[in-house]
Amino acid sequence: MNALHALPAWMQKRSTLVLFVIAIWVILGSLFSGIHTLELSTATNTPATDWLRELAASIRGSRSEAPIFVYVFNPLREVIEGFIELIRALIAVPASGNVIPIIGWFGVVALVGYIVYASSNWRTSLLSMGLLTACGMLGVWTYTMDTLAMTLGAVLLSLAIAIPIGIWAGLSDRVMSFIRPVLDLAQILPTLVYLAPLALVFLIGIAAATIATMIYSIPICVRITAHAIRSLKAGPIEAAESMGSTRGQMLRKVQLPMARRTIILGINQTTLAALSFVVIAALIGAPGLGKPVIEALTIRNVGDGVVAGLAVVLLAVMLDRSTTAAVQHSGELPPEGAALITRRIGLIAGGIATLVAIYLSRFQLWAAVFPEQLVIGKYIANAADAVTEWLTSTFYFLTIGLNENFTIHVLNRIEGLLANTPWYITIIAISLIAAIIGGRFVAVLSAILLGAVVLIGLWNDAMVTLTQVLIATAIVMLIGVVMGVLAGRSHRVERALKPILDAGQTLPAFVYLVPVLALFGPSRFAAIVCGVFYATPVVVRVVADGVRGVPHDMVEAAVSSGSSTTQVVTKVQLPASKRSLLLGANQGMIFVLAVVVIGGFVGAGGLGYLVIVGQSKPELQGKGLAAGLAIVLLGVVMDRIAQAGARRNEKTPT
Amino acid sequence: MTMSSPEPSAIHADTAISVKGLWKIFGEKAGTIIDSPDAWLSRPELLEKTGCVAAVRDANFDVANGEVFVVMGLSGSGKSTLVRCMTRLIEPTAGAVLIDGEDILTASKAKLRELRRTKFSMVFQHFGLLPHRRVIDNIAYSLEVNGVKKEARHERALEVIDLVGLEGYANHFPEQLSGGMQQRVGLARALAVNPEVMFLDEPFSALDPLIRRDMQNEVKRLHRDLGKTMVFITHDLSEAMKLGDRIAIMRDGDIVQMDTPANLVMHPVDDYVADFTNDIPKSHVLTAGYLARPAHEGEAVDGTAIDAEEIVRDVIPRIVSSSGAVGVQRAGQPVGVIGKDDILHLVADDAHEGSAT
Repeated sequence: MNALHALPAWMQKRSTLVLFVIAIWVILGSLFSGIHTLELSTATNTPATDWLRELAASIRGSRSEAPIFVYVFNPLREVIEGFIELIRALIAVPASGNVIPIIGWFGVVALVGYIVYASSNWRTSLLSMGLLTACGMLGVWTYTMDTLAMTLGAVLLSLAIAIPIGIWAGLSDRVMSFIRPVLDLAQILPTLVYLAPLALVFLIGIAAATIATMIYSIPICVRITAHAIRSLKAGPIEAAESMGSTRGQMLRKVQLPMARRTIILGINQTTLAALSFVVIAALIGAPGLGKPVIEALTIRNVGDGVVAGLAVVLLAVMLDRSTTAAVQHSGELPPEGAALITRRIGLIAGGIATLVAIYLSRFQLWAAVFPEQLVIGKYIANAADAVTEWLTSTFYFLTIGLNENFTIHVLNRIEGLLANTPWYITIIAISLIAAIIGGRFVAVLSAILLGAVVLIGLWNDAMVTLTQVLIATAIVMLIGVVMGVLAGRSHRVERALKPILDAGQTLPAFVYLVPVLALFGPSRFAAIVCGVFYATPVVVRVVADGVRGVPHDMVEAAVSSGSSTTQVVTKVQLPASKRSLLLGANQGMIFVLAVVVIGGFVGAGGLGYLVIVGQSKPELQGKGLAAGLAIVLLGVVMDRIAQAGARRNEKTPT
Repeated sequence: MTMSSPEPSAIHADTAISVKGLWKIFGEKAGTIIDSPDAWLSRPELLEKTGCVAAVRDANFDVANGEVFVVMGLSGSGKSTLVRCMTRLIEPTAGAVLIDGEDILTASKAKLRELRRTKFSMVFQHFGLLPHRRVIDNIAYSLEVNGVKKEARHERALEVIDLVGLEGYANHFPEQLSGGMQQRVGLARALAVNPEVMFLDEPFSALDPLIRRDMQNEVKRLHRDLGKTMVFITHDLSEAMKLGDRIAIMRDGDIVQMDTPANLVMHPVDDYVADFTNDIPKSHVLTAGYLARPAHEGEAVDGTAIDAEEIVRDVIPRIVSSSGAVGVQRAGQPVGVIGKDDILHLVADDAHEGSAT
């Protein structure tokens, strides 16, 4: 703070100062363009990546001997694999000597319908059964069941670990302060980066995929559970204490029942997170819908990709609707009188019907294997191909043309600045910006972490990725602020946007890749578009919440003193929700990063591509691991700078 | 410390609660402040110097068995902290709180729980009902945590449900009830364990004025019928006057005056207390005994005497409609008379002060 006062008056405003740094950066960048860019061809290893490759090899070699593997990792792998295989055997994989799993499709649909009915209501139950049947009609029943089995298994294991930890962290400040850094880190880690290290330890397969999924979903559940306990109203708890409850009684009889609804909400979030991760985890051998999606992406088979992606969407909607309905149901008062009797009859009749359906599905072919006559997946695949063909040829300027123009005029220029400027100039510039926004500590941290990227030898690729992240974040903020302000000011707009936002937050990022690839072809632009699609809903939500959170009388005062709508927005609502804007920018950037690296699949290059290549080419495994590490370093730098900005705005000026 | 009527510090048989040298200081170095001169600094000075806030400063008082003891003060005066220190919902910094001769501040956790389950109970401003439990199970909660069997605790809960006028609501959930009804559940819950002492922390502040009046009458009725010792916290002086046998007025953590309603009105110790009591019509708090004076020479005295404990407001019609002055008796002994002029003076006084504010 004090350092600022030493500067001339025009430089005391932080935004001016940042622009000044950027201007000098651009000038120096164009003067020294192409020097010391540390560019490296994909196939070349550096000392660091070589070392990582050897480390990986030695880990592989010690799998059968090293005590940590023999006594910890390998048994863990077997237990988890056994658990998941159990669920798969029930609904997905044919039992030995048979063509169907223990329960055929008809039985599964009925069982899911019954569980949803028991935990919420018959309307949601019907919807869930319909959505599952639709997955069968798409011709991907077995894949769907594999994904469902993986998701369920991972969710159950995650909940078993996360809910107790969450409760503990909710009750104890010490535990919370201990796990908070872990939760924070987990939130900014892009999904793609855990895959390779886990596959190295647990082998490619179900166990690694499940553990990766758990690592992704457990922090979400812990956070929400802890929040559920922490945000309980103090009154009833104080009252229960005044009546002589022991700690155990307090937890069992007061805190947990009161937190139940929020904890179930946590289960909803955990389930959706697990589903989206299970799809991506196909990269390290998770069975299910992720496989056809990846295959379709690799050979650019849009039709099949759309069918598999659609099934993921249907499954996501089913899991979301059913768990959301369970949240609502848990908040309602129990039925009484006639409603109670109806409900009991419904539960008994539904139970009997479900048992009959399961029985049928074991002994009747039509109920065991999804009937071929009902499958319409092929038509949808063909239609999707035809539509893509028509769109790309008819609206060329909107698809490939837009891609080319954007790439030449925007993407290449910014990438030129970041990737073609000598690395030390870029590091100094970013650290200076970090210093202006976040202070000395953040600046030093940024310099060290970026220096580490240079040492690893992946500087140039990191800058390619950073370019895409920054551009996508800028677009996301532009769209997000406009839509967020509209939604925050008008309930009508909010209601209209809600389904789109919900869908955006529910859908696994992976499935966006298919249509985007179809429309724009494999390119960096496609990755940016995916990032924008994925991150915009979050930013709109955060901004809308911020704008709505501006005190009503503040707005009324502005209106009554004669402000126009634009003036109310620009002079009152946006400045007052500045913190939300910065928070939105931070969230948006992290979400964008997670997706842009997945864009390595659709020709986005950069670090994401190296991670994926490292997965398939043994000689580049070290480079893949290094790229994962570089993604983390980049993520931490961006997060710290943005967080510091947001935190500074939290403090009221004294 | 300024107190108009010093209380006996020894515990006699009639004392339900005895609070001695009770302190609560919030802040890091709380323990070191009490014995230093800093303890008596004003609030802003103390905060500036030590970063601490003295919420309760050296509180000393006894509450008699069956008494309604009201603690009155504005928000931030420390009254809620005081009542929480007395039940150890907040751990006091120093002092002693003897309930039934037992110092609850030195009681072990288990002992404290036992006392809370059997000896005293509390009613809260925002009710503090458990939203996931039906009325009956809210009321039975302390019996439940004390291990009372379901049948027995439900039987007892139904008894108190009748007692507070909640018949027919046993199976409702709190959210289905109005605020006033919810606080009836709060009262019933506090009565369920048949406690010796009830602590009521601004129990009616969150209610509408009309409901509040009903609930005040309800508490008066319950107190008359059950005779429980009550410590009642409020920020509303008229509520304090209406319910309290004695009232302690708090400001910035200190008890500035502790007395009967009538004495507070007639003899406020300072301007702070006078500021409150000026708004209270004297006829509403003074008892006939206060107003009684020796009969003048040859003054005509009417036949039926009034009781010295009756509130003046309630006897005005009788005095006005009588032919001469009216005699006042305490326990059958004549203590003086009240004439029409005395009433006129008092009412004129009230009217003057009412218009002055």
